[in-house]
Amino acid sequence: MTGKPVTARFQATHAALIGIILAVSGFITWSAVNARASMDNLIVVAPVAAVIALICVVLVVAPMLKARVTEAETEATPDSAIWGDILLLAGFALFCYALTHIGFDLATFLFVWGGVVMSGGKGWWQPPLFAAVFTVLLVYGFGSLFPYPMLTLVL
Amino acid sequence: MIDQFALSQAFDLLFSSYAPWLWVIPGLLIGLVFGSIPGLQISMAMAVFLPVTFGMDFLQAMLFLTSIFTGGAYGGGVTAILMNIPGSSSSIATAFDGYPMARQGKHNEALGIGLAASVVGAFVGYILLMLLIQPLAAFVLKIGPLEMVVVVLWGLTLIATLNDSRMSKGLLAGFFGLMLSQIGMSTTGVMRTQVGMPYLIDGLPVVPAMIGIFAASELLRLRGETYLVRDETQRDISFGRILKGAGETFKYPGVLIRGSLLGAVIGAIPGVGSSVANLVSYGEAKRSSKTPDRFGKGAPEGVVAAESANSSSEGGSMTALLALGIPGGAATAVLLAAFSFHNIIGGPSFIRNQTDIVYSIILGNLGQVLLLAVLGLLSLRLLGLVVRVPLSYLVPSVLAMCAWGGYGITGTIAGPLTVAGFAALGWLMRRHDYPVAATVIGLLLGRMMEGELVRTMQISRGNPLGYMLERPIALVLFAVMLLVLVGAPLLRAYRKHRSARA
Repeated sequence: MTGKPVTARFQATHAALIGIILAVSGFITWSAVNARASMDNLIVVAPVAAVIALICVVLVVAPMLKARVTEAETEATPDSAIWGDILLLAGFALFCYALTHIGFDLATFLFVWGGVVMSGGKGWWQPPLFAAVFTVLLVYGFGSLFPYPMLTLVL
Repeated sequence: MIDQFALSQAFDLLFSSYAPWLWVIPGLLIGLVFGSIPGLQISMAMAVFLPVTFGMDFLQAMLFLTSIFTGGAYGGGVTAILMNIPGSSSSIATAFDGYPMARQGKHNEALGIGLAASVVGAFVGYILLMLLIQPLAAFVLKIGPLEMVVVVLWGLTLIATLNDSRMSKGLLAGFFGLMLSQIGMSTTGVMRTQVGMPYLIDGLPVVPAMIGIFAASELLRLRGETYLVRDETQRDISFGRILKGAGETFKYPGVLIRGSLLGAVIGAIPGVGSSVANLVSYGEAKRSSKTPDRFGKGAPEGVVAAESANSSSEGGSMTALLALGIPGGAATAVLLAAFSFHNIIGGPSFIRNQTDIVYSIILGNLGQVLLLAVLGLLSLRLLGLVVRVPLSYLVPSVLAMCAWGGYGITGTIAGPLTVAGFAALGWLMRRHDYPVAATVIGLLLGRMMEGELVRTMQISRGNPLGYMLERPIALVLFAVMLLVLVGAPLLRAYRKHRSARA
């Protein structure tokens, strides 16, 4: 820990996480209070909301009180890695949404192909071949065990 | 405690013909497969194969279904260790130390520990069931909402000990899980937000959330690495090392026995069961350990505590079913359906009039546990091959399976979307050292706690403390919880202080 001193800063992704927690908790609390402001309905929501607000204040204020931190304490993950993760995450969310819209088979084939390439899979024919074999196995293996109907486009 | 005549009849029923055992190995294999694939539930497997039991006699049907139950409980632990995907809520705590062990190249040992702890736990659970089925049934009848609140609170205290960095982060993660459990209709029928999705009327589906926050977020983190186990020389599947791991389990007899006992007792409580048992057992193992800092970083005791408790809770969960005819969870509800298929009603009269059948089921389950040890060892070589798959292929494939698993549980788009949402949340949390397990525990136990708290308030007419004084079991449970949570650390600190002065 010999890095040069820099001004304390709250990382953007950490701020986003606390923002999400506060927004979601606030929305659930608002919705519960609106639905019925009685003790039986708020017996968990109200105290939990209060504790969450308190902890968020502590987590935000504490680094600010620590006037300066060393550079070695700050995050070392390169931006390219973060954007790669976010891209794969966005692709995963799109895949989850697409399952019941374009079909489990096509969505899985495209996602696995893209995912293998994004994760560093080499060669131009191996990733699509693997994705195709994997999709067929998944549809006829995993899919046959589902007790629900499953939309497919090709298989 | 044991009716000798009925016991000899039970042996006769089980061993005079091979018929009762005919379906045990297929059942164990079905359970292992369903348990080890994320999104396929043990109860789902039992329900799918329930019609098959129509042509069987009652004992054969029970052994077949309970073997699915036994195999599935262990299968869930395998994926928790190898891929950080707990197959069910009863395997959450297995992932805490099992997965770090696998990442360190100790996957063989972790799998061996898991198998041995499961076998011992299940064995202890069923032996206790045989010895104590009648007193345990009486105990279960005396369990009310207040006692459930205390047990759930005990499970929730684990949140405070799951801190990767700061206590405040662990608490925030746990309380956020509790808050998320409040989505959908309340236990008293008040409609709160469904986040615009009618599928969420019953709240967020816990298993897809668990798959997303544990597995998907971890897989995103693995992107860019080459293999699950970094060291190439450690990637082999060694039968010897699995056996060595199994042997290592017995280096922790206290953890093993305590986990098995806790699992059997908590598992007997309907509705709480194995989901809480593995958490309480893990928490107690960590609290009582001389090296609690090792937990969460690949401590073998953590795997022993979690696996012994979740396996012994299976025996506990059979208590209410056999003695009272009350299913404690989804899997035992399917067993109850098998009861009615064969015109049998569980409860005190079943135990009194058909004691030989009850003993046969319990003895049959003990036999299954031994078969599981053999089958588990054989199947581990196959399941363990996952460490040899390059991550560039494994990450997108398992991510796809996670989404499919979410659909398999809910049957609607809500499942995959929950997986995706919690994957993003888990990714953010892991980046900043928030313990994702605390959020899952909050989500899992929040709704349970709300229901029991409301019922306690109603029964006690708004005076839960006064009511507690009338409930000796709740008082004892509460006192034990306080003793363990506050008394033990105080005593340890006092001893440390004294030895430092000396």
